[in-house]
Amino acid sequence: MSQDQITLVSKENKEYEISRAAAMVSPTLKAMIEGAFKESKGRIELDQFDSPILEKVIGYLNYNFKYSSVDEDDIGDEEIPEFEIPTEMSLELLLAADYLSI
Amino acid sequence: MYRSRNRPKRGGENEVKGPNSALTQFLREEGISAENIKQRWYQRQSKKKEDGKDEKNEGVEDDDVSLQVSQEKEIEEEEEVDAFESDSSSETGKAEISYNTRLELIAADTDEEEYEINSVSATPVSLSPAKNQESLAKKRQHTAKIIQNRRRKRKRAADLLDRRVNKVSTLQSLCIEKISDNISKWQKETGESSKLVFNRLRDVLGGVSTASLNDLAKTLSKNRALNDHTLQLFLKTDLTELTFSDCSRISFDGYKTLAIFSPHLTKLSLQMCGQLNNESLLYIAEKLFNLKALYLDGPFLINENTWEMFFTTMKDRLEEFHISNTHRFTDKSLCSLLVNCSSSLSSLGLARLDSVSNYALLPQYLVNDDFHTLCIEYPFNEEDVNDEIIINILGQVGRSLRKLVLNGCVELTDSMIINGLTAFMPEKCQLEVLSLEESDQITTDSLVYFFSKVELNKLTKCSFRRCLQLGDMAIIELLLNDAKDSLRSLGLNSLKELTREAFITLACPNLTYIDLGFVRCVDDSVIQLLGEQNPKLTVIDVFGDNLVTEKAKTRPGLTLIGRQSDSI
Repeated sequence: MSQDQITLVSKENKEYEISRAAAMVSPTLKAMIEGAFKESKGRIELDQFDSPILEKVIGYLNYNFKYSSVDEDDIGDEEIPEFEIPTEMSLELLLAADYLSI
Repeated sequence: MYRSRNRPKRGGENEVKGPNSALTQFLREEGISAENIKQRWYQRQSKKKEDGKDEKNEGVEDDDVSLQVSQEKEIEEEEEVDAFESDSSSETGKAEISYNTRLELIAADTDEEEYEINSVSATPVSLSPAKNQESLAKKRQHTAKIIQNRRRKRKRAADLLDRRVNKVSTLQSLCIEKISDNISKWQKETGESSKLVFNRLRDVLGGVSTASLNDLAKTLSKNRALNDHTLQLFLKTDLTELTFSDCSRISFDGYKTLAIFSPHLTKLSLQMCGQLNNESLLYIAEKLFNLKALYLDGPFLINENTWEMFFTTMKDRLEEFHISNTHRFTDKSLCSLLVNCSSSLSSLGLARLDSVSNYALLPQYLVNDDFHTLCIEYPFNEEDVNDEIIINILGQVGRSLRKLVLNGCVELTDSMIINGLTAFMPEKCQLEVLSLEESDQITTDSLVYFFSKVELNKLTKCSFRRCLQLGDMAIIELLLNDAKDSLRSLGLNSLKELTREAFITLACPNLTYIDLGFVRCVDDSVIQLLGEQNPKLTVIDVFGDNLVTEKAKTRPGLTLIGRQSDSI
């Protein structure tokens, strides 16, 4: 089943929506979405991630999707902004990033 | 890594830090700025257009001109800030002629062009005081835009030089950067109690894959932040391969801790390990029972005796040994290495060893059937590594060789290629890496012969950097070989004899990188051709190729590095 939105579920059962294209940035999520398992229905439970981490991950996926596809000349005056990572989150986020290969 | 020369100084604006700042300070105080000078130039340009005809008729040659010029310049310097003074005396007109001719001479400067293109039309010709304010504000806005543009251009050029092709870095690298930053910060803050912090860190990092941990090592090395404290992050029991690319701050105690707490290490690479001493090296040999591969760069504290003891301890265990940049590794040490470990040795690297001259020892000892990597680079005396030695070595291990690096062995000639490489390599050659950089005695003929006789269907990396005598036929023959399908990286830097012909046939399905620096014939059309013919090509180095301009057409995903028009 093909949908434009994918739902990611955190450890606390909180649901986050992300566009299919942005989720595809992560090879791990891509494999899940395209695979033959129940995740391919558009709801992926990532119960090893806390909500704040998942929120940040989604933030990054959108950030990456937005800026990696555009050519630098097209942005015009804007610089690509830096992606902010809170210090206390960095280690856990690294684990999450490692898992998602992003 | 590229670092901008114009990094902001730490001190305030008025702090004089050095000769440069003093000059800047002076210019600022005097109100002299590039902007003012520029404005004046525009003014002159517009005035010149108006007065152009009159001046031509006037008969300008005057004995006093030079005097007037200097006088005028003095006046102008006093009036720097007020750039829009409108003065139409004939004297100014005369002075401007010489000034303008000088300006025309430097008109080719790219920065000036930038101004010219953007601003000439915007410069009002009539300069009434009321309009001055408005146009000044406009100018300022415009300058701000130019500065921003320049900054962006500079950043892009810097990124290019750092080979940062992807604009968006991965989340992992962002995190690692953050962690590295924090480690340094914590270290400063906590001082002695930092051990607790690292224990905690290690607990959390426990689940990170080995690849990420090696990435962390890379990032720390890059930031020169790898020291005894940060080393603790790597004291994991299950790590088997570890590479530190900058160990200059790890003390001999650090190496000992590493040896104790990472007993499963099989491959250890310590670059710039200047503090590695005799005791630590022996400790590594004793405690790391599984160690099979050791790569050392710069271990200059290790003396001859220790090397001998080390090789005795590692007897029949050492499979890969690469060493570079130490004058204390002598012929005796090399002999000890070969006597003790030659039966197990399958990979050997000797680079920039100033006290080794007896390379002739190598052939008789390299007898392992599985010997696959040989790197002999930059011998102290070029005569020490000659054709005969390499031919003899190839006679022993040529069959199994997968990587051959002979960079900087300038004594080598065609004889080595014909009687060594061609004679002893099997027809279906296993060679994956071939690098003969700076061998300027090797000619096209011998390589054509080699490439026509030996099937190099596994060759992925090939470099003939600065083999100055090589011509088109060598490259064409390489591409007629099966190597064409496997090649991923090709180095042709400084091959000045090459012409367009060589690149017409260059169509490799797997080629990702090619170095064409200082190959003078390379121009925009060659770049376009390469982009079209090589679907996987992502980076072309074009340093020193002045025919490659900003008009070169590249397909998306292909980056040119070192182009003149991209300069900072």
